[in-house]
Amino acid sequence: MRNLIAAILTFTSGAALAQEATPAPEAAPATEAAPATPNTDERVTNTEGKVASIEEQLAEIKSILSPLTKLKFSGYVQARYQWEESREDGTGGYSRFLVRRGRLKATYTGDLVQYMLQIDAVPTGVTVRDAEATLFIPGTKQNMSVTLGQMKWPFGYESVQSSSDREFPERTRVVRAFLPDERDRGVKYAGKFGFFRLGVGLFDGNGMSYPGSVGVDNDKEKDFVGRAGFDLKWISGGVSGWYGHTMGRGAGETYRHAHERSRVGADLQVYLDFLPIGATAIKGEYIKGKTYVSNGAELLDRQASGWYALLVQNIGLTNAVAVRYDYFDAATGIPATAAAPGSDRPAGTNAIGTIGATAIHYFGENLKLSVTYEHPMTATVAGVKDPRDNLLTAQLQARY
Amino acid sequence: MKNFIASIAAVLLLALPGAARAGTVTVKGSDTMVILGQRWAEEFMKKNPNTKLQVTGGGSGVGLSALINGTTDIAMSSRPMKEAEGEKLRTRFNTTGTEISVAKDGVTFYVNEGNKVDALTQEQLKGIYLGDITNWKEVGGPDAPIIVYSRENSSGTYVFVKDNLLNGDDYTSSAQTLPGTAAVVNAVSKEKNGIGYGGSAYAKGIKELKIKKGNEAIAPSAENIKTGKYPLSRDLYFYLRNKPAADAKAFIDFVLSPEGQALVTKVGYFPVK
Repeated sequence: MRNLIAAILTFTSGAALAQEATPAPEAAPATEAAPATPNTDERVTNTEGKVASIEEQLAEIKSILSPLTKLKFSGYVQARYQWEESREDGTGGYSRFLVRRGRLKATYTGDLVQYMLQIDAVPTGVTVRDAEATLFIPGTKQNMSVTLGQMKWPFGYESVQSSSDREFPERTRVVRAFLPDERDRGVKYAGKFGFFRLGVGLFDGNGMSYPGSVGVDNDKEKDFVGRAGFDLKWISGGVSGWYGHTMGRGAGETYRHAHERSRVGADLQVYLDFLPIGATAIKGEYIKGKTYVSNGAELLDRQASGWYALLVQNIGLTNAVAVRYDYFDAATGIPATAAAPGSDRPAGTNAIGTIGATAIHYFGENLKLSVTYEHPMTATVAGVKDPRDNLLTAQLQARY
Repeated sequence: MKNFIASIAAVLLLALPGAARAGTVTVKGSDTMVILGQRWAEEFMKKNPNTKLQVTGGGSGVGLSALINGTTDIAMSSRPMKEAEGEKLRTRFNTTGTEISVAKDGVTFYVNEGNKVDALTQEQLKGIYLGDITNWKEVGGPDAPIIVYSRENSSGTYVFVKDNLLNGDDYTSSAQTLPGTAAVVNAVSKEKNGIGYGGSAYAKGIKELKIKKGNEAIAPSAENIKTGKYPLSRDLYFYLRNKPAADAKAFIDFVLSPEGQALVTKVGYFPVK
């Protein structure tokens, strides 16, 4: 109750004070003179001040945004429908949708430095494809560089070509065998001297697919990989080499020891412009080597070789067709055999030649549709059939 | 399966007509060349009313990018195509492209008419554009800060100055970028302490600087640019994906004809023939 009375007294005294504080109405202000219209000089001065202020703000914004212009994001998604025919005995064959590649790449390029990180995010997982730091050698206008990290091996043509630029959905068998996933950890020097190109590096050698040691090396052996090439615009090519060792235990060996892992290769690309419907390109590559990874196992000292030839014809601005023949002998020097005595299937070491054709349509600069049909022909012996394994791939690629 | 293949084929066939743009030739790129391109197009269309030419600017980089992306037939460029651009063209169209030199130009440095500086060495210009020289008194002018104007990095002239004057180094961060040569001229004509650059065709109402070489001051005159005596002279190019054909070939034939080259002189550049 006492609180209530106190509150009432407080309220009434406040109201009284408020009434006392109300000021007496003031006399009406004298009529002010209408503001004078600014003359031209004043308006120019005001405008110049505003422009100077805007320029100052613009300079500040530019200094903030300038580094961002050096950072670029790019990427692409390859979504597919694939159909493979079934074999005579009902095995093999499939019809499926898949996301083959989902790449996201961030690149920062400064005057002396380049950073690049590329990931591949697909339904089966996310993997780091490239993680590299590059120093452009000062005074060379970015024509010479040293790169450290995980990057592509400087070998051949098809292995370093972006999957988003390739006409066929997958690389050839020989490239997939000798340069699986195309990447490794190491250090690389790249240089351009006029039309001459040089790329050499020292790498772990195991790449990204070596069984049991993805991302790390399991030995002290290092592999030297390099390519010396030329680029005269309408014709380019080069020779590549790889020499190194891998620690492993071959058949009948008690202890691991270093086995030679080597490759040699040559590639050539010719760009012609003689047909009125569009340009024509002819590309080819040959690789021969020893020791490679197949079906999750490193085949020590195994000799293999292969080659491909590719013809691409552009038709107008938005269409292209291509034909490719690729040949891979998984065990050079070993004649074709059956998978097992009495089997009507060929052995896994038999040579395979694949003829393929593809049609490509570009829906503008960001979207590409390709339909590819491939017919593999496996070497056979009497009583052994070439398996039915033709493959149709329809791919829609979106990139930015 | 047959239906599936038929559907794919139908998509491809439906898309094919989109590629055809008969009778229209698009020309895009260098702002330095846009007036020249428009004059050529006007005269050509008077003689060939069935052919439509669309000429737009945007900068050399924009034009070459459009050529690589397939959105223009001819790219105008005030600089040679970069190696990376050539590689993109080769990757996408399997072609090395066709380069045609259609005119010559001198990159001229402008100062305000009231500026008493008439000539600078290339080293002094480089110092100004790198930000090492910031006051006119350092190069024989008044005691006043130098207001540096530049072009946007999509401009071929920007790249030309960067490569040929600055040896590839970056412009000073205080350089104000303007969207076209006409804007640079306008800014320098109003800013008494300004300096800018562009094609000589636009150099009206301001003073063109001579380039000092030893005891000689070389003016960006027609003769000096044609002979290459003026050190910052360059070719202006048309780039096409393939060898010129049909309407594009007819237009280029006109551009390189005596009549087309006479227009080059009228606009203020220098003929190649």
